[in-house]
Amino acid sequence: MEGKPVRVVCFVNQFFGQLGGEDKAGIGPQSMDGAVGAARAVQQALGDAGTVVATIACGDNYAAEQPERAVSELLALVAAAKPDLLVAGPAFLAGRYGVACGALCAAVQAQLKIPTVTGMHPENPGVELHRRHVYVVQTGAEATRMLDEVKRLVALGLKLVRGEAPGAPAAEGYFPRGITRNVVTGASAADRATAMLLDKLAGRPFASEVPRPAFPSVPAPRLVKTLQGATIALVTDGGLVPRGNPDGIEALNATRYGAYSIEGKSSLEATQYDNPHRGYDTSWVKQDPHRLVPVDVARELEQSGAIGKLHETVYSTVGVATTLAHSARMGAEIAEQLRAAGVDAVILTST
Amino acid sequence: MRLELRWSEVRELLAGSATRLVGPRLEVDLDALRAQLAADARLGEIRLDLVHPGERCRIGRVFDVVAPRARLDGEDFPGVLGAVARAGDGRTLALAGVSVVTTDQQMDSIGTLAVIDMAGPTAAMSPFGATHNLVISAWASPGTGRSEYLAAIRLAALKAAVHLARAAREAGPDRVEVFALPPSPRVPAELAHLPRVAYVFQIHSHQRPTGLDEGILYGDPVRRMLPTIVHPNEVLDGAVLRGFMGRSVTTWATQNHPVIRSLYAQHGRTLWFAGVVVTVAQATEPERVRSAFQAAGLVAHALGADGAVFTKIGGGAPHVDMAQAASQCEALGVKTTVLVEDMSTDGSAEGMLLFDLPDVDAMVNVGSSHEPLTLPAMDRVVGADDLVPRLIGEVATTYGAVCGAIEQVGATAVMAEVR
Repeated sequence: MEGKPVRVVCFVNQFFGQLGGEDKAGIGPQSMDGAVGAARAVQQALGDAGTVVATIACGDNYAAEQPERAVSELLALVAAAKPDLLVAGPAFLAGRYGVACGALCAAVQAQLKIPTVTGMHPENPGVELHRRHVYVVQTGAEATRMLDEVKRLVALGLKLVRGEAPGAPAAEGYFPRGITRNVVTGASAADRATAMLLDKLAGRPFASEVPRPAFPSVPAPRLVKTLQGATIALVTDGGLVPRGNPDGIEALNATRYGAYSIEGKSSLEATQYDNPHRGYDTSWVKQDPHRLVPVDVARELEQSGAIGKLHETVYSTVGVATTLAHSARMGAEIAEQLRAAGVDAVILTST
Repeated sequence: MRLELRWSEVRELLAGSATRLVGPRLEVDLDALRAQLAADARLGEIRLDLVHPGERCRIGRVFDVVAPRARLDGEDFPGVLGAVARAGDGRTLALAGVSVVTTDQQMDSIGTLAVIDMAGPTAAMSPFGATHNLVISAWASPGTGRSEYLAAIRLAALKAAVHLARAAREAGPDRVEVFALPPSPRVPAELAHLPRVAYVFQIHSHQRPTGLDEGILYGDPVRRMLPTIVHPNEVLDGAVLRGFMGRSVTTWATQNHPVIRSLYAQHGRTLWFAGVVVTVAQATEPERVRSAFQAAGLVAHALGADGAVFTKIGGGAPHVDMAQAASQCEALGVKTTVLVEDMSTDGSAEGMLLFDLPDVDAMVNVGSSHEPLTLPAMDRVVGADDLVPRLIGEVATTYGAVCGAIEQVGATAVMAEVR
């Protein structure tokens, strides 16, 4: 890219494209040659490094009311200008505009395989919707410091065009995308830990290197029946599978679970089961599967009437290094099947 | 306790008719060393290779790395190689610039084995890409079981490490490093204002039970070990060895323990190094709770520490185990920092941690071993004859496959940054 000016396309709404105010919010996508309206700030920030070859504008309502159609029409206009980089917005606190900027950036990256960058205020709904996939630079709420803020967008955009790895979110001014990447710091982790502890001991501020997880808390539902009338299912993430592991459940980082019938079984015969779990010592469970999935005791409770019925299917997966996304999906699928089968409560054994 | 590491710099490693150190040149009598290692009936064929920094060579099937050390005033690797006796006091010969790499010729699941590259960008990621390496490839003799084999290849590495370091007996050291720490309560009045800091060192995880011959603490397989206090010098001087599991942990890093070194470096200046508690990650909840509050009790009540640094060994359960012990410390008023791995397997920041304890709020991370990484092609593979076709070209793998690039005890400067 050295020496060759970068071809930039800008995306703006009707207001920043100087097409009009809220009365023109229904206007459809259109392409204008060169830098128009807010895109002039982008050209100024680019200097000799690049040229705004087209400014593409779209009304806020048009984009918000038919997002798929708007994005596909905008994508065609962007492609026609053959850019190396898309700069969308900045949208500041304008919600419809921000959402459209994020959606167009995501589509352009995916379809045209070119880098994109946009800018928004932290409270713009476009940030939460798109920051995981798109570089969204943090801006103020209004366009009062337009050129300064556009300069940061452009600097990041040029890095992306040159194939340089952007620095940390705080250094470059973009919202963290929630992905991790190994970087080499100036000190060993041990020395960083000592320094952090000394700061903590002295009451000085310190920056933990791992964000607190934002796991949503799931309240346990109340059992509305008595246990004597309830159907109870056994579910485990401890990895019990029939011998031969018919569903091929992974030893680590599982993406699959199995549903195994216990119909007609008053207990589990150790020789018929196996356990691929690589996260704990499975020898005790292999010796006696009831240590993980207590079918024997549950049948006794069923016989004695302490519980209404034992559900005839046991669900099992391997819970070790499993991603949150797969855990949530598998949990939802298992819960769906249990509910459809009329199960009232679950005993979930973990390891 | 006062430990002297008497360092000799090695800049050249080559085969010779006798093992001796001539200035910075270390000559190794490979035949004599091989014969010494072959005395172990658990081993059959043994091969020794020498590889050097800058060589386009990949060491495959890496099991563990050991730093060459030989004690002048006591037993070497007591309880495993030498007789059971205290380590950490006296003079120990140490070679810089050389490592002993031992390989595992049995493991089928090669995804769990590590490599060391001697040239290119992946060499720069690991300290072992910059040292001359003696590579041991040993095969099991008929009838040797898996655990016995692993015990044998680890013992071979310890013997070789001692054999090499003894070559420095006649040479004067290039530098002497002194680790001296008085009994914990004896703080000079003028330093009594310094915060007292302890280190809680998880040395094994019972996710996998130890073999009978898997000596970890003075030769003990730590099967029923409760948290206990050791002097940091014991750790540096061979009392603690890595067991038979896992990547991202080497015996070399324990012998050069980065947390212990870091606390020693600040000792008497910004903190008072109050001591080390060794723990084991437990397999069941009652054991985990017991271990957590006992470790915290030793830190707070026995060592009287104001702060503590924690590290873990192994996978997810140890991660939680460590955090629970740290939380117990915080409950007793002891401030903590913990070294964690990025546990996410898909590179998402939300999967980095396996615990969410509000008081465990100061975390340093040692990087992500799951991050994809492509190893460049090399000209030669040692330590993995059966895997040459898979290892000699470009290899698509992960960060954790490069031995030494990430150490759970925090030896390297890598960090997983949220982007």
